[in-house]
Parts: sequence; C-alpha cells; structure tokens
Amino acid sequence: MNGIHDLGGMQGLGPLIREPDEPVFHEEWERRTFACLILTLAGGQYTVDELRHSIERMDPARYLSTPYYEHWLHSAEDLLDKKGVVTREELARRAAEIAARGRD
Amino acid sequence: MKHEHEHTQPPSDPALRIKALESLLIEKGLVDPGAIDELVDIFEHRIGPRNGARVVARAWVDPLYRQRLLEDGTKAMANTPQVHNVVVCTLCSCYPWPTLGLPPTWYKSPPYRSRVVIEPRKVLAEFGLAIAPEVEVRVWDSSAEIRYLVLPMRPDGTEGWTEEQLAALVTRDSMIGTNVPRVDAAATGRGK
Amino acid sequence: MAALPREIVATAIRTGASARAEVGSAPRFKVGDAVIARNMNPTGHTRLPRYIRGRRGVIQRNHGGFAFADTRAHGLGDQPQYVYSVRFEGRELWGPDAAVRDAVYIDLWESYIEPVPSR
Repeated sequence: MNGIHDLGGMQGLGPLIREPDEPVFHEEWERRTFACLILTLAGGQYTVDELRHSIERMDPARYLSTPYYEHWLHSAEDLLDKKGVVTREELARRAAEIAARGRD
Repeated sequence: MKHEHEHTQPPSDPALRIKALESLLIEKGLVDPGAIDELVDIFEHRIGPRNGARVVARAWVDPLYRQRLLEDGTKAMANTPQVHNVVVCTLCSCYPWPTLGLPPTWYKSPPYRSRVVIEPRKVLAEFGLAIAPEVEVRVWDSSAEIRYLVLPMRPDGTEGWTEEQLAALVTRDSMIGTNVPRVDAAATGRGK
Repeated sequence: MAALPREIVATAIRTGASARAEVGSAPRFKVGDAVIARNMNPTGHTRLPRYIRGRRGVIQRNHGGFAFADTRAHGLGDQPQYVYSVRFEGRELWGPDAAVRDAVYIDLWESYIEPVPSR
C-alpha cells in the first residue's frame, strides 16, 4: 500500500537524532513487547509479513510520533485480535483489572 | 472495511497494554515466561555488534575467509577506495540481527530511512564521514529478506595487530556504513 | 522448558532464511539485464517502494527463490519467486541534482520488474 511507512525520498521528517551509547531497550515495556512479539511469531501466530502490513496500516500520525516498539505492540494486538487469539475485549478487561490493582 | 485508526478511545499507556497482553498470552499457554526472560537476555547482553566486529577482523587478517564472505554475495559488501556502502530499510527496520544485534533507534526512524536513499552524502556527513566526490556511494535498501553487513576497509597503521585488537576498532556504525573504523576514535572510546 | 528458548531464538534470528523457497520455473532475468520497476499501486502489502516504481535499473544478482511477501501478508500462501538485487543510479531516481556516483541497490521480487527492450 502507498502508506506512511514508505518513506524513501520523503523530506521534512526532521533531523537525524542519535543517542550516544543507546541501550538496547529504554523501558521495561519495550523488553516485554519485543519478547512477546518474537515468541508469538516463532509460535506461528502470524508471519513477519502480516506484522509489517499491520504496522503499515497504523494511523499515519501515530506511526510517525510513537516510539518504535509501540508499532510492534500495535501489530501484535491487531493481529491477535483479528485471529481471535486474544481479543481487544479481553485486553481491555485485563488492562482495567491491572490498572485497578494499582501496581502489578 | 474497518478503518484502523477509528478507535473509540485512544490507546492507553504501552506499559499497561503489554502487561495485559503478556499476562493473557501466558494464561493461554502461548508464551512461556522463562522464554521471555531468556530472549531479552540474549538480545540485551549476548548478541550485539561484537559478533560482526569479529567477522570483520577475521576478514581483515584471513584473505580466504574474506573471499568466501564476499563471494556469497549476501553476507557482506566490501568498502574499497572506489566504493562506500551504507545500509537502510526504508520500509521498516530490517537489520542483520545475527551479526549486529538489534538496531539503534536512529536506524529505524523516519529521518534516516527517508534521507539516506536520496541524500546519502549529506547523511554521512552528519555522522562525521566525508565521502570524496570520486568515490561511489551505494545505498542498500533491505527490501526483501537478505540482510546486509558492510565490511569496512582496514585502517592504516594497524599492521601486525591481532584479531582481537582489530575487532575493537570495528564500530557498529562502520558495519552499517554510516561511519568508518578509526584508530584514534577507538583509543578515545568515541564513535559507536 | 529450558531448551525451548534457544530453539525459538534460533528460529527468530533465522526468520530471513526460513523465507527461502523453491521456484518451479526458470528465472526471467539474468545479471546485466536492464529492467524497469512496474508502476503498481496495490492497496495491500508490497515491498516495492514508491521511489523505485517506474524507474530503470540493472540486475546485479539473483538471490534465489523466496516466499512472496505480498501474498504471505494476506494469507494467500508463499507463491515463491526469484528475488533480484537491482541497481538504480541516483540520477535515475532523483534527477540531475543527485551526485553522479550515487546508486541504490534494492532487492525486488520478479513480479515487481519488467524487461526494458534493448535500444
């Protein structure tokens, strides 16, 4: 698709910003997202092509403004819901339970 | 067809979302909690640019190894005095994980992905690398499943160095192609 | 379950290799062939970027057969094709302001390209 992800040759997307000695993961949620996505991929829930296309269908403004691993989280939630493996309703319920507990 | 961005509520905090997702995946037996920790440990501590640096250092000292590496055509592209190579994935973030680990944020971000194919010399200059006009710049867009590693030129003044000493010179950026190994940079710890 | 993580990681980091697949027919292109990237605008997944479409390049290498991303993304099967490394001159892509010695090398599935008739 002619989506926002197809960035080759675009201009005006801002300066190159590099973090010196950048850690592999900045936040714990990035670690967990990375691992859950790889493990579900290896477990055959989806192909890497499906994951990429799911990311390509993100809202363009969110694609450009969210941290990288949020794209992964989006695609895992999207595809697991579409395949009926983990529905958005289940996720919303569980997130509400966790939030209500205050901390895990 | 449902439009992806017509959610009735904005997505909440990613930390909360992944806690919910992970707990459900574990409950449903789709993911093993031990595997999560192991996978994170592997990519945070055990696979990284040092793997690629060892490949490069070996290619510098062992001509037969270098020849096999380059002949394969899918493992490494050699920088020469005439050609400088640099790698990108304009469409997403494809990167040679087995040799370099996980990519830095700048590699996966819109500014690099958009600019390096159209103005590579300007991008390389921002990394501190000046390319002479007579040198050809080849930008490799990793659009399919082949993953590219740049084999930088061995710096002058390293005759007789051991493989270990040479590997210490090879920065991650020099294997992406956005920089080159420098003897003085390694000494001062600059230039990741 | 201690053994499982290593297998999974091996699978994960070899995701690329697992996409290799036999193609039942002969390659359409050989090294040195002049090709033109198709002007195609699918609404589904593709790995042919817009900046390459309609541009002329030269085949550098045949990487062999791979599962086709465009079909795999939609559950339509692997449908393997040859993937080629194709060189595009910077000025072909971006016009005369590009440095004369800039080039882009990109990997293209066979159905992304057409032959250019020899002049």
